[in-house]
Amino acid sequence: MPIATVLGIVLAIALAGCQAAAPAPTGTPLQSPLPTPASAPTTTPGTTSGEVPTEAPATAGPTAGPTESPAESPVAGYPLELVGQDGTTVTLEARPERIVSLTPATTEILFALGAGDRTVGRGDYDDYPPEATQLPGVAAFTGVNHEALVALEPDLVLAGGNFFTPPADIERIRELGIPVLVLYAPTFSAVLDDIRLIGQAVDTAVEAEQLVADMQARADEVTTAVEALERRRVFYQIGSEPEIYAPAPGSFIADMIVLAGGEPITTGDPAVFAIAVEELVELDPEVIVVGDAQWGVCPSDVAARPGWGTMTAVAESAIRPVNDTIVTRPGPRLAEGLAELALAIHPEAAIAPPADQLELCPE
Amino acid sequence: MSAGVSTPVSAPVVRVGRIEGLRRRPVMLAFAGLALCALVLALGVALGSVGIPLADTVGVLLHRLFGWPAVSWPASTETIVFELRLPRVLTAMAVGVGLALAGATFQGLLRNPLADPYVLGTASGAALGAAVAMTVPLQMVVLGIGLVNVSAFVGASLAVAVVYRLARAGGLGSMTSVLLTGYAVGALLAAALALVMYLSGNSLRQIFVYLLGSFALSSWPQVLIGLPIITLGSTVILLRARVLNAMLLGEETAGHLGLDVNRQRLVLLGAATLVTAAAVAMSGLIGFVGLVVPHLVRLVVGPNARTLLPLSAIYGAAFLGAADLLARLPGELPVGVVTAVVGAPFFLYLLRRYRASYAL
Repeated sequence: MPIATVLGIVLAIALAGCQAAAPAPTGTPLQSPLPTPASAPTTTPGTTSGEVPTEAPATAGPTAGPTESPAESPVAGYPLELVGQDGTTVTLEARPERIVSLTPATTEILFALGAGDRTVGRGDYDDYPPEATQLPGVAAFTGVNHEALVALEPDLVLAGGNFFTPPADIERIRELGIPVLVLYAPTFSAVLDDIRLIGQAVDTAVEAEQLVADMQARADEVTTAVEALERRRVFYQIGSEPEIYAPAPGSFIADMIVLAGGEPITTGDPAVFAIAVEELVELDPEVIVVGDAQWGVCPSDVAARPGWGTMTAVAESAIRPVNDTIVTRPGPRLAEGLAELALAIHPEAAIAPPADQLELCPE
Repeated sequence: MSAGVSTPVSAPVVRVGRIEGLRRRPVMLAFAGLALCALVLALGVALGSVGIPLADTVGVLLHRLFGWPAVSWPASTETIVFELRLPRVLTAMAVGVGLALAGATFQGLLRNPLADPYVLGTASGAALGAAVAMTVPLQMVVLGIGLVNVSAFVGASLAVAVVYRLARAGGLGSMTSVLLTGYAVGALLAAALALVMYLSGNSLRQIFVYLLGSFALSSWPQVLIGLPIITLGSTVILLRARVLNAMLLGEETAGHLGLDVNRQRLVLLGAATLVTAAAVAMSGLIGFVGLVVPHLVRLVVGPNARTLLPLSAIYGAAFLGAADLLARLPGELPVGVVTAVVGAPFFLYLLRRYRASYAL
């Protein structure tokens, strides 16, 4: 029995699988700032009404106050069919009143849309806003606690795509008859689509449009400010133990760096996350963004690494920490994260500093 | 099969005071074990990370199993008791039976006290199969059985098939050869697994959880497909207790006793592999059970396979069912950690106490 052949085939399948499992490349990097046509591609019209995201529920009547929630009105638009990132159509029979959100980003989005009072469970690591931490956590690092989830009697579960919530767990929850809407955003503009989708799902489409408009305005401020500036080669350090980890091409962080006026240094392969130091020296970053500053890695540590002194960023002390959470979490604070990232790349840019900044690596 | 095999001829049978009494009472031990299984089953359905009143638990079971009229309980209670806990406890116990029997079989066949169900590459084969399936972004679920389960099963079976073929082609022609080939193939597969894990990106976490073993995803379809496979393999093994006794004397002696050694060896290997593959496909890699439960039983009742095998099956079920309960009560711990943390000290205690009397 030629075991080598068997192994070869198995490995070939494995490698093919890895390629396919990596974040879907966004095609060409987004050079132009944020084209977001109003129609979100991930939605299908409800079965009873062809809903338009920008339109309040039909019965809302004259909208006097812009912040007034249409929550009290009889809920039109349900049953509603939505298509999640995994391609699965989810049918919501009625307006969700007991929502469990399994990712930090979706939990933030629910609270930002005013649906926090209808959220009854979260992932164990969903840490924002502070009210969210009061909710029972039903999903740990290793997977979902199905018993605790079911006990919350949810009528909608929001889960993360691209393996954030283990696909087997998603499958199991659906088997139990609970609708699971899977969300995954590989780019900034996809985050806005996610927010719209959640807005439709939980009957807060108006709030969603408002939030998207605010985030878009903030992103426009950033992209306008960096437009005239020279694009700098940026190495975003995702992690530095035990290897140096950089964004993969087409990844979320690479997209953010382009929007923030940088030219991302990537690993060159969507399935590879580590980068060799010699490659980094060769690519010579002009700015090093310390994404792991929250975990105690500071610019001085980076500068002190043997062999790093030849990089332009180190020679010019262009090593800056960022609050990795808001830069990389695909939620409502992402536009602030974009501003923070843009200021790390271009400290001279005319951008208002992000709200409530973390004190990272005090001098 | 020769009638001469019926008496176990364990080499150094040793007297050991108090357990001597138990050794003469395997039937009593079996009933005690079955009672323990019933207790574990009851506790496993009654307890969990969510508190449910006992009356509701009983009501749901009567309602779903015997069609008693439903009383008022939340729909979530019914789901938790009947769709989550019951299949989970049954899976854990079935896997416990399978791993303990497969472990006893491999230990006897290979005449090696360190043998466990994973010794011939089953673990690495299953892990590699599962890991590959997890990195594929496809979610294929047919009849409630996922691609991961199927790949793990196929990987485990294929690994042993390859080992067996390679070992037979080699010159050694004995179980020593099978054991060493299994080790080599296992190492090769482990390297491939490491590579897949290194390249797996976002699914690394899932692979890691699989390697630790878990019953969190047990479901009725899994029970309905896995249980018959384990039952089939277990029955084949249990019916060959005398063969296993003969094999303990060495293959040559077994041959002189009139045993078709090659054929019986193949049947036993096949059955043990089938059972192990089904177990790892249902629950991932759970260590320790298959290694230690047969040893524990052997310490008490001695090496006669005719008592060793049934008692291993019974106590394997009780042990793993209880370990899973301990694993999920504080939230969700890896069950393989619990089996080792609880089982290892107990095993050490028995070893120290009875070490003079031990024989495979």
